[in-house]
Amino acid sequence: MKQSGLLPVLDESIDEIKRISGGSSDLLINRFVTGGVHCALLCCEGMVSTSVITEMIFEPVTDIPQQDSASELFHYISEELLLSTDRPEVTDYDELFRYVDSGFAVLIAEGMEKGLAFGVQGYSSRGVQEPSGEGNIMGAHEGFTETVRTNMSQIRRRLKSPELVMELMVKGEKSFTDICLCYMKDRVPKKLMAQIRSSLEDIRLEAILSTGHIRPFVENSSFEVFSSTGITERPDVLCSKLIEGRVAVLVDGVPYAIVIPRLFCESFQTLDDYAFKPYYATFIRWLKYLAFIIAVLLPSFYVAIVMYHPELLNSTLFMLLVEAEKKAPLSIVTEAMFVLLMYEVIREAGVRLPKPVGGAVSIISGLIIGDAAVNSGLVSTPLLTMTALSVLGGLVVPDLNPQVTILRFAFVIAGGMLGLFGISLLACAVLVNICATEDYGFPYTAPLSPFRRKGMSDTAVRCGIKKLQDRGFTVEEYHE
Amino acid sequence: MNSVSKSQFTALLMITDLFGLFCCGGMISLMTLYGFLAAAAVQYLFGVVFSVRGGELSKKVKWLYLVYVVFCGGTLFSALWQTSSVIYIPYESSHGIWGRLMTAGLIAAVCLYSSSTGIKTVARAAVIVGALGAACLLIDFASAVFNAEWHNVQLPEKRSFISEFVRGFAYSSGLGSFAVLLGDVRGERIKAVTGYFAVKAAAAVIVLLTVLSVAGGIMPLADFPVITAAQLSQPLDAQRIDSLFLVVFVVFAVFSVSLQVMTGAYIISELFPRFTKWRSTAVIALTVAAAVVMPSQPLVLLRAAAAAAAMAAAPLCAKKTAA
Repeated sequence: MKQSGLLPVLDESIDEIKRISGGSSDLLINRFVTGGVHCALLCCEGMVSTSVITEMIFEPVTDIPQQDSASELFHYISEELLLSTDRPEVTDYDELFRYVDSGFAVLIAEGMEKGLAFGVQGYSSRGVQEPSGEGNIMGAHEGFTETVRTNMSQIRRRLKSPELVMELMVKGEKSFTDICLCYMKDRVPKKLMAQIRSSLEDIRLEAILSTGHIRPFVENSSFEVFSSTGITERPDVLCSKLIEGRVAVLVDGVPYAIVIPRLFCESFQTLDDYAFKPYYATFIRWLKYLAFIIAVLLPSFYVAIVMYHPELLNSTLFMLLVEAEKKAPLSIVTEAMFVLLMYEVIREAGVRLPKPVGGAVSIISGLIIGDAAVNSGLVSTPLLTMTALSVLGGLVVPDLNPQVTILRFAFVIAGGMLGLFGISLLACAVLVNICATEDYGFPYTAPLSPFRRKGMSDTAVRCGIKKLQDRGFTVEEYHE
Repeated sequence: MNSVSKSQFTALLMITDLFGLFCCGGMISLMTLYGFLAAAAVQYLFGVVFSVRGGELSKKVKWLYLVYVVFCGGTLFSALWQTSSVIYIPYESSHGIWGRLMTAGLIAAVCLYSSSTGIKTVARAAVIVGALGAACLLIDFASAVFNAEWHNVQLPEKRSFISEFVRGFAYSSGLGSFAVLLGDVRGERIKAVTGYFAVKAAAAVIVLLTVLSVAGGIMPLADFPVITAAQLSQPLDAQRIDSLFLVVFVVFAVFSVSLQVMTGAYIISELFPRFTKWRSTAVIALTVAAAVVMPSQPLVLLRAAAAAAAMAAAPLCAKKTAA
């Protein structure tokens, strides 16, 4: 693509545009004469609002009185007509196509080496809806959408402070995706901002279609089981993170924002915690910690204790398990792996299939396969109960679901091979890995380790809002 | 090396000391407690002198510490093998030497991974492990308070104060790491030293009193009194909680060996700056080899002498730095 200015001869310029676009059908070129100058208005079909372009561009532009030259025409349009709020100048074909493909209308004229772009975007997009993944009872019911500017406005609506900065940049050599860096300039450490900008500079991808394309660039490159950056689809949650001095990255086309840095304890916090009384919020928080441990360790402890450490069970429980397991034809590890794998297959089928069919999959799997497996004796009831409890526990902390899934399998294998010894060894390795997770000097395990007593007021418990207000927390407190 | 906080420093060393205490063989009496406390007091004095004088460890002292941490790592592996008869590790007993090597290999692999992440990471993890260990210890102690026979504490002593004092030194495996890591502690070192030895003394009191009250009556029958006490001290009537102790035991073993390996690797990096790769692997290999050639006896006297030498070497042979 040419990097120099636009061609001054309108016909040649239009030919060049057609050549670059390869005659793409969605590129609309409307030629007309106004003020005695030959012009063309370029836009992309489906990306602009027809009513806006008619009212705001065509009607005023075609009423322009006679002008002496094209430059005077452009001067008249720029100075005397207020066609749109967003009116950048286009100086080369790269820019021209970027604007046209972003829903701008671009005006070029005979004898001009530049063009005028007008923001008349009107593409169809999903409206603001309730977030599907981050359920909330007492908070707002608005989630991010796929349009980055709508998401920016959602944040601005909640933080009307001039300290909130939103920096737009374009990434992706083919997709030219808008990326927005959001932060509170009085809260975020300057060094962190510089490091994040430098990390984003390294992106040389052709297309950015999800947050997963950006996260590896802002995360530590060493192997980490848990992610040191977070994801949210709630503008209210994002605002609370920004106030704590974190940085957010919004990606056009993705209804999620990346939050940097992320801490382990944040996976157990929801906005609802701050809507309830502190004692209830604390109870719910500990319930989530317990659910996480159950999700990861319960099946493996069951396997390890039944296979290698039956002396740890009391006699009633022991007899119950012996009775149930002696009917099962498979070994306990195989049985546990089978049940867990079946669950993952069913879950994946439920997620990928259309919603009505997904519901049917749940019924077939839960009622028919589950019941049949137990009745036929293929799977023992206690094991199925443990697995179901573990899976339910994992659903309490949806943020950590991928990690929980993999760790659950790994712990079952370790417990099946080496009993509690194996589980303990793997626990050590996982613990070290979690403690090694760190981004830009913010340890993932803070405020537990490195221990910050103040941080425990919103981690081990949830103190009253008045106390939290006095604290004036920013994430910088955890920097090491 | 990255710096560590005082609590991380204390946690790292306490885990090693507690693991040594878990593996402590032979009879325990009130005199053992006095001996351990006296040993801790003497170590504290040396520690204070070292922290006040400061200075850099000389090359010879670094060599001494390298040998000492390899020896300590070997004793930790050896202790793990010896306690495997009472701490049930699948395959270990049934597969003889191969089972033992497999156990050592698995622990070594986890230690290798831990040490590869750096002291900062392991120190962070040690705080969490230390907190969990302390919680388990308190559960054990609380259940001992309700179920114990306190007259056992006053049972007649079988060993002299001197021999228990020597044992107190012998089961202090963290002294090499103490001297090497002290220079990297953030804040006032003297506070770090005081904190560590205070926690060490408190832990010794809690563990040994629990052992005496719970297992005092059957002490001659117990090969490893701390482990026996943990198995006997059950807070719940209907449910055993030994599994908790087994998990803590293995986790402490891993972190104890990791600390020795990291200390060894750090010393090697100072002695041989060009030897950048395989440092941790080399230390682990040496440690396992030391454990294999080590006799099955507790080697109390040798360990005590080594610990005393390690403790004394730091303050006596440290070079004064210009700063």
